[in-house]
Amino acid sequence: MSDCTKIAPLLGARDHELTAAEAAALAAHLASCDRCRAIAADLAATEGMVREGLMARANARDFSTFADEVMAKVGRAERPGLFGWIGRHRAATALGTLIPVLAAVALLMYVRIEGGREPALFELSSEGEATTVLQTADGPVVLLAEDNGS
Amino acid sequence: MIRCSLAALLAAALLAAPPPAEAQATVPVRIRVIKGSRQGPPSFDPRLENQKRQLSALAYVRWELVDERSLELAQGKTQFFTLPGGDDVGVTLQERHGNAVTIEVALAARNTQSRLTVEKGQRIVHQVSPEKGGSAVFLTVLAWP
Repeated sequence: MSDCTKIAPLLGARDHELTAAEAAALAAHLASCDRCRAIAADLAATEGMVREGLMARANARDFSTFADEVMAKVGRAERPGLFGWIGRHRAATALGTLIPVLAAVALLMYVRIEGGREPALFELSSEGEATTVLQTADGPVVLLAEDNGS
Repeated sequence: MIRCSLAALLAAALLAAPPPAEAQATVPVRIRVIKGSRQGPPSFDPRLENQKRQLSALAYVRWELVDERSLELAQGKTQFFTLPGGDDVGVTLQERHGNAVTIEVALAARNTQSRLTVEKGQRIVHQVSPEKGGSAVFLTVLAWP
């Protein structure tokens, strides 16, 4: 293998990409080989032009609004946590909040209708009669006064 | 779409609420005329078995079923029954509050009206004739038998 073949992979290396030994070998070969020296010069010129071109394009672009443009495309979907979830599921959140409220309203109406008045347990009216009432667990037992004539 | 869903849910909740108790005007009742006696050997009509505990509060040792009827009491309307002694007793549904009813038992011969409120499962036992020869007649009223 000729020296040019060994050195060829090193020709396009950038700064700090070669070890000390490789840099020394490259420098020694380029000092004595016109052909490799010309190739190295072409590669250096090309890389410089690409670098300069990219830098020119980058400098021409205004990146001051870059963050805002990205966030505008991302939108609210990226909001983390509970509020982000609520924002993405508004209908479900509204429904989940409304159903317990409606159930509570229905229960309140039922209690008000059914439990509004407290009925009296017992009323007795008689004229000239005394009556005894026994309250048992199964219901009241009403006894008449003894008949004086019996 | 959400507004329509909300309106539908609200309507369902209102319709699901039970109607006011006052709107249901009749109550099924079972009325019995029973006779209790202090004399004779103890006996208990087997048809009155479900009243045994309540009647044990009284001093009568013999109990027999004289008459029994099942009917619908309309609120404010009096049902009359003729007792074995010939007297009449009137039973009226006065009020209903959910599972509780107020019933009036009126004895014209005794000039007595008793208005009692009981819950479902409770029974009214009302003496309707004075005790004679150790025996007395009672009227029992059970709502929603």
